[in-house]
Amino acid sequence: MKLFNNISPTDFSIASEREKFQKAIDTLNLKISKSSFEVHPIINGSEESVEKSISRENPNDTSEKICQVHLSGTKELEKSIEKLKQGFLSWKNVNLSNRANTLRKVADIMNKKRFELSAIMTKESGKPWKEADADVVEAIDFCNYYAYLAEITLDPINTQIKKAELNELVYIPRGLVAVISPWNFPLAIPCGMVVAALVSGNSVIFKPAEQSSLIAKEFVSILLEAGIPENVISFLPGLGSEIGNAIVKHPSIDMITFTGSKEVGLDIIYESSVVRPNQRNIKKVIAEMGGKNCIIVDEGADIDEAVKGILYSAFGFSGQKCSACSRVIGVGDIYERLVDRLTSAASDLIVGRAENSASFLGPVIDKDSFERLNKFIENCNKEYEIGYSTIAPLGGYFIGPHIYKNVPANSKLWQEELFGPILASLKCNSFAEAIDVANDSPYALTGGIYSRSPKSIKYARANLEVGNLYINRPCTGAIVQRQPFGGYKLSGIGEKAGGPNYLKQFVYERAISENTTRKGFVPGLAD
Amino acid sequence: MTLENEIYQFGEKIFNSIGQNAPSGFGKKGLASKLMQWSMTKPSLKTNLFRLVDVLPALTNSDVVAKHVHEYLGEDLTELGPMFKFGMKLAPGLPSVTNIAVKKSVKEMAQMFIVGETPEIALPKLKNLKKNKLAFTVDLLGEYSVSEEEAEIYLKRYLHAIKVFGEDTELQDTNKPIFKGHPGCIFPSNVSVKLTALYSQCTPLNFAKSVEVLSKRLSTILKLAMKNKIGVYIDAEDSEHNPIIYETIKKVYGSEEFLDFPFPGLVIQAYAKDSLELTKDILDFAKRRGKPVAIRLVKGAYWDSETASSELHGWENPLFIKKEKTDANYEKITKLLLENVDICLPAIGSHNIRSLSHACCYAEKIGVSKDKFELQMLYGMADPIAKAFVGEGYLARMYVPLGEMIPGMGYLVRRLLENTSNESFLRNTFHDQNEIKSLLKNPSENNNEIV
Ligand SMILES: Cc1cc2nc3c(=O)[nH]c(=O)nc-3n(C[C@H](O)[C@H](O)[C@H](O)COP(=O)(O)OP(=O)(O)OC[C@H]3O[C@@H](n4cnc5c(N)ncnc54)[C@H](O)[C@@H]3O)c2cc1C
Repeated sequence: MKLFNNISPTDFSIASEREKFQKAIDTLNLKISKSSFEVHPIINGSEESVEKSISRENPNDTSEKICQVHLSGTKELEKSIEKLKQGFLSWKNVNLSNRANTLRKVADIMNKKRFELSAIMTKESGKPWKEADADVVEAIDFCNYYAYLAEITLDPINTQIKKAELNELVYIPRGLVAVISPWNFPLAIPCGMVVAALVSGNSVIFKPAEQSSLIAKEFVSILLEAGIPENVISFLPGLGSEIGNAIVKHPSIDMITFTGSKEVGLDIIYESSVVRPNQRNIKKVIAEMGGKNCIIVDEGADIDEAVKGILYSAFGFSGQKCSACSRVIGVGDIYERLVDRLTSAASDLIVGRAENSASFLGPVIDKDSFERLNKFIENCNKEYEIGYSTIAPLGGYFIGPHIYKNVPANSKLWQEELFGPILASLKCNSFAEAIDVANDSPYALTGGIYSRSPKSIKYARANLEVGNLYINRPCTGAIVQRQPFGGYKLSGIGEKAGGPNYLKQFVYERAISENTTRKGFVPGLAD
Repeated sequence: MTLENEIYQFGEKIFNSIGQNAPSGFGKKGLASKLMQWSMTKPSLKTNLFRLVDVLPALTNSDVVAKHVHEYLGEDLTELGPMFKFGMKLAPGLPSVTNIAVKKSVKEMAQMFIVGETPEIALPKLKNLKKNKLAFTVDLLGEYSVSEEEAEIYLKRYLHAIKVFGEDTELQDTNKPIFKGHPGCIFPSNVSVKLTALYSQCTPLNFAKSVEVLSKRLSTILKLAMKNKIGVYIDAEDSEHNPIIYETIKKVYGSEEFLDFPFPGLVIQAYAKDSLELTKDILDFAKRRGKPVAIRLVKGAYWDSETASSELHGWENPLFIKKEKTDANYEKITKLLLENVDICLPAIGSHNIRSLSHACCYAEKIGVSKDKFELQMLYGMADPIAKAFVGEGYLARMYVPLGEMIPGMGYLVRRLLENTSNESFLRNTFHDQNEIKSLLKNPSENNNEIV
């Protein structure tokens, strides 16, 4: 059995690594300049032609078209389900280590194509270099980790050893798993959910976010190349409101794993609780949803570290991570100095095309986000004390960093998840008060503190309500196995991604007890 | 006589002339020495103690000071109280007298390694160094520059320091050089520049722009330094930023404009696995430039953080993992530099008497005279060692940090850590009092006994 090791992120201080990345971008640019990409549904290994399609533009440069996404409908869904049910019958019986090794092959192919994959994300999703690289790394880690985890946790176990009985607990796959994924980690998150389902023996319907269909298609090709059977994975690009909705309601779906917004997540949980005609099971749902993550900085904090960490947590990938920091609390005297330094630092962050390696903030994902955020910012500029507000470059969906001061804790800005480069701050007089203010939120995903007081650190460990607590470091960038990721309260339901309990969600447990005696003859007893 | 025998004889002479004079940090007086003694004899509390020292200057009110002191030291307060000059009763809510006392003692400690808050305040101490026949290079301590506003303030601090030193006639009196005819004394004063703090967006992913901006700002410094007769070294930093630093150095030092700047300096860190290659590359650069550069050879100040960070990222450690490897590589590069004194001014930066003696003896052996290289040490760490070498006729330069306490803390803690580490030459010499023989051992040959 192979052990698990994280793959290393790219060391961009090495010139040749930067060159490889740049070359991948150049190659992709050349391809797109000839013609944009087509993304079709893939069922049983072949592309389906459908009627409707939408065009996706480059968020870095709206005059450029990236791809045409052909939208799956109920016909594709029905066909998928038929194929996947067949596929499941053999896939579930494939030996566990064979399934695990196929995942490792997926990881190897992704590693070979890492710059190619990153390049797609810089263009299609506006992910800056380092973030795109981290996305690929996480995807690879998920494959290798779940392969390893499957081998150590999904084998049958003997519950108790008895002379007259064989008592076992065995794990069997659930069946047909739907994966509905977001655009913000367009490779890592769907990859994690899909390969977890596959390695546990399920067949999978994969519905990516429409904004990141191209990288999703690339991922599916890699799965097939690595040897995942064609009738075990269906790729159904399309709109959440149409195909997404149809998948969730379909009576043949056994499980839904979702990452995305709270609204959609709660809706999926609700819809999947309805038992529809011909449905013979209860749908299991895993939902990872939003966060309104807070970093607390106390009087004794290392302010240099705090400023750097908060900037990265709040504005890395323009705040479009569920783990991003959107609230900052300064305790006592440090507040003013902290906010001063944050605002002056924010004003110098480089905003620009994500393909340009220097950009700290690329564009936001699409027109909807762009308009929604700009409208919100316009309101904030009227309603709250501005720390820093700016006008971003034109040509793409660029929004610069924004910081607001002395924001009331009951305000919309303090309470609602915005998914953009907007940071609210306020001052508290004591550390305990700061923890209370931070906890007064519907979410509990990530959070952090900067402090050099052993007592405060201990207090935060016990009392800050977050799924992932980060002390004296940024609150984003969880690494597979090292920091299993996921929240509670309205941030989601399910075991942590990249953690030791994740795979058990994709299987049913069966207990089997066999009387091994025959007419008083107990095998082995007399020997 | 073999080189090893010469090093041993010479080193022994240095040890003898140092005698019982330990560097101030290893003396009997002062918080720093007590702190160091204490953490060397009681390593279990070293972490807490250093963490406390690290946070103290940032704390602005007495309650918060008391809180942190209690949390870190708890029951050890009985033993430690007197060290920080406060009573055992210290508790949150006590009058600010205690606060002042604690911070005062930390400040006193900082003053051992940090020469003062401003260039003006530092002047008398710098003159004093000069009187004692010690050259100096001044480093300005600073926070990270997270914004251009901060980077500009930092740049201005350098320009201001250069102006203050340049205008001081006593300091700049070229008629009374410390070492007549030594290239290190062409300009009487010298500054060491932390390049990355001059640009807030200095990252490898912003490489081209970083080099461009830093080149501009470095040029501003060099122009004023030239006018004011102030020498310059560019410090080496961590391996993430060093490629940017060397690229900037080559661009600026290589430009027509600064060809006449006498011996512009740079630093090579021998703990880096690729440092020998880098040295060759820099020597080639100096050859192409046609005029010599000053090369300070050090072991490197970021060993702990780089080793930890490469583990976190799963990257190969760019540094040697064994101390002897660093020491042996240091000697290899020392030789290379001394063999190329026509195109460089070697500056041997170390407190390690073996490393220093090796340089001196090798120079002698290949006929490189004492006016062709210099020795450099950190202020407050090696005063008696520096004196001993000056006594032997070498030029010694002290690296003198200048600035406020809070930003200076990183520097201070690094120095304390360095001096209390098991691997530290100074610790082995002045605290553990190892045998001279083993202290002077050849790092290249593990079992090399000197006859
Ligand atoms: C004048 C001057 C200027 C300086 N400028 C710079 C600069 O620009 N940039 C910079 O980085 N540093 C600089 N330094 C700091 C210098 O790197 C440290 O002070 C120096 O490393 C201490 O070494 P030593 O020879 O005095 O002592 P020693 O005790 O002989 O050596 C200690 C050093 O050995 C190395 N080491 C320790 N453990 C290990 C290990 N396990 N494996 C491998 N190596 C190990 C480390 O570098 C450590 O600092 C400067 C020092 C001086 C004196």
